[in-house]
Amino acid sequence: MQAVLKRVDRPVAIAFGFIVVLLLAGSLYSSSFLSANYLLQQLQVAAFLGLIASGVMLVILLGHIDLSIPWLVTVGGMMSTAAAGWWGPEWAIPFGVFCGLVFGIINGLGVAILRVPSMIFTLGINAVAQGIMVLHTGGFAPQDHATELMHWLAVERVLLGIPNAVFIWALLGCAIVVMLQRTPLGRYIYAIGNREGATYLSGVNTKLIIITCFAISGMCSALAGVLLAGYSNKGYQAMGDPYLLPAIAAVVLGGTHILGGRGTYLGTVAGVVLISLLASILSVMQMPEAGRQIIYGCVIVGMLMVYGRGQKVLG
Amino acid sequence: MNEQQSLRPTASGTTVPGRTAEAGGTTPFWQMRGISKRYGGILALDNVDFACERNSIHAVLGENGAGKSTLIKIAAGVVTPTTGELMLEGREVKIARPQDAHAQGIVCIFQELSLMPDLSVADNICMTSPPGRFGFINHRAQRRRAEALLERVGCGDVNPLELVKNLPLSRRQMVEIAKALGRQPRLLILDEATSALTAADVEKVYAILHDLRRDGLSILYISHRMHEIKQLADTCSVFRNGRHIETFKKGTRSDNEIVRLMIGREYTQVYPAKPARPEAPAPALAVRNLSWGSRLNDVSLTVGKGEIVGLGGLDGQGQRELLLALFGVLRGVSGSIEVDGKAAKPGSPGEAKSPRIRMALIPEDRKSEGLLLPMSVRDNISMASIGRFTKGLFIDRARQDARVDEVIRRLAIKVGDPDSAVATLSGGNQQKVVIAKWLMTEARVILLNDPTRGIDVGTKQEIYQLLRELADAGTAILFYTTDYDELIGCCDRVSIMYAGGIKRELRGDDITEENIVASALNIDLAPGHPGAEHGA
Repeated sequence: MQAVLKRVDRPVAIAFGFIVVLLLAGSLYSSSFLSANYLLQQLQVAAFLGLIASGVMLVILLGHIDLSIPWLVTVGGMMSTAAAGWWGPEWAIPFGVFCGLVFGIINGLGVAILRVPSMIFTLGINAVAQGIMVLHTGGFAPQDHATELMHWLAVERVLLGIPNAVFIWALLGCAIVVMLQRTPLGRYIYAIGNREGATYLSGVNTKLIIITCFAISGMCSALAGVLLAGYSNKGYQAMGDPYLLPAIAAVVLGGTHILGGRGTYLGTVAGVVLISLLASILSVMQMPEAGRQIIYGCVIVGMLMVYGRGQKVLG
Repeated sequence: MNEQQSLRPTASGTTVPGRTAEAGGTTPFWQMRGISKRYGGILALDNVDFACERNSIHAVLGENGAGKSTLIKIAAGVVTPTTGELMLEGREVKIARPQDAHAQGIVCIFQELSLMPDLSVADNICMTSPPGRFGFINHRAQRRRAEALLERVGCGDVNPLELVKNLPLSRRQMVEIAKALGRQPRLLILDEATSALTAADVEKVYAILHDLRRDGLSILYISHRMHEIKQLADTCSVFRNGRHIETFKKGTRSDNEIVRLMIGREYTQVYPAKPARPEAPAPALAVRNLSWGSRLNDVSLTVGKGEIVGLGGLDGQGQRELLLALFGVLRGVSGSIEVDGKAAKPGSPGEAKSPRIRMALIPEDRKSEGLLLPMSVRDNISMASIGRFTKGLFIDRARQDARVDEVIRRLAIKVGDPDSAVATLSGGNQQKVVIAKWLMTEARVILLNDPTRGIDVGTKQEIYQLLRELADAGTAILFYTTDYDELIGCCDRVSIMYAGGIKRELRGDDITEENIVASALNIDLAPGHPGAEHGA
């Protein structure tokens, strides 16, 4: 037990503590906050954010950032429904994710080979993806209905009443944990985040690692877009817009260092749940949008300041 | 007097009262008394007394780490001495900041150019005190001042409105000199200020310096080029190990004597015995005609199987670039590299460590290039070799850990828990971790860039021992060090670099401190030397 506690870093513990506090505070407001149904519903919403955050976390671990999330999510949603219309429903999910992969690889090439700062390059790719989606719907009307499989994956609950989307997130999460902990790729990701130059001088193909991480991030965003389209039964423009800040915030609140090199997936899970819960509680309390934004921002900045104190040791 | 007046108006049109008086007198113009400077545990300057006169060019000589730079930095107010006092014209002055030094008329031209590349020549020259009023810069006056100063250094052809980044390096250095003159120096310090100049420019600088000397300035001149010092200096001071060894008038010492003054440290290290080698071993690493831009010129060398070859010379003569070029870090390197007779010119460090080549580089700065400080000792040691410990997609932890533990034992790395961050280790143990990382790859050729800098004597000796063991096991080792002692004690052969090329190769009994220092300074010492003093 002691050993387990020791391995959980401070930010992760704080994030989980904060989740408990939020739940308790919510239950004072209304007893339904602790009901299984409410919690499962939160998990379902969190799953979409969780998929996106998984990819972003890898990029942030490298010390980079991916700002192309909003429109890569949209690309995933819109291209999957369109592919279903063009070639049949079985193409929907593979094609949606494939489009995310392509954009992710372009992000990676720009950052690793052209050496454009990731903040600029991914922002540019976000705009390009937006333009392409606008072109895609201009003049003719591609299919925007989600396929049955997409709907089933996003909404149905086959096992123990747990939403399928949560299982998908869990599956992806496990894969990423294994990748980070047990494969050379994971080791190299942390190494690059700590110091790219030293990693390169150790004979590691750093460019390939960077491209891989951006590619995974693009796929994760697109997959989330596919499921979101299934959830709302429709792929539409700007469907990914609300996810940029929450995804990055979830990763950072979970204790991943914004400059790379440190962080655990468990922390990201905590961050995702925390962000989803906070958003839900604020909306249940019927807080007006403006107030929600203020509280949201304050919580993020406040928690980062708390973490910042603890991380001076190695700086 | 008149000549001095003629210098001032070119700068700003104002003369500073009091500055032009008292040229003669018996007290030296600039004096440093009992100066010591301590950086942590290292004494960079040890109770130094130093003085220089007006109307003179005073050269300061010494090898790497002799304390020259610290001396200059103290005069320029960049660092403050731990103890001692500074005197100007017999009065004590406090110089705590660069501004204080400027106020006293002490101007320094540093080795690293201090110009802003994206500003114009005129902006740069007038950086410290632009003409104008109410906080606005009078651009026309600024341009005129810049033109006058450029004219003065013989660079009237440089357009003051040109951006500095568009000028070639040699012009930039002249702009730097013009900028210094614009500050109306009384004591002008040049730290390797001619290193990037063309021959024609050097002549101009000589002429300017002679003018300035006539105008009553005191000039401190630091250079590694012996012939420049011979041509320019009236007085020379030699520093060694942070101590002022001797000051002498021009022409009273021969080259051999100067070199002897510069060296002569006590031998404290113990080195493992060198093997007797009747003939040179077959080369494991053969480098032919390696060139890279202006930094490497036609470098050819070989390192035999089981041989330790030292790279020597002053700092920044291309040693670092040579090692990086061999390891595939630099782009656009021409020439050939062979390992064990097969062409092996890597395009990246990843290729250099591949089984085909099996090269390793212990980089210069372990903290930024060698280690991932927050990561564990284990992760660091296995970083270059994880690829060898995989089972399918996954890392075979047991096999990796066993190998890491073995290497930790072999190098006697003092670490309680191999899973603790490498940042928690001492400097010597950190360096061992870097070496351990490359032992894991079983390299055939090991390149080392000053691996013993800043580590304790005990660890140094362990590293020498380890290098010799590796060599005896057939590894070829190329070893760059700034410590001449190590070249002599550790290396089977020594190549001295100067200005990007191999100046001289020493072997056997020729590896002496005299020979190393003389080659590093690019001077030839004749044993009987009737001609060695000529020109001094």
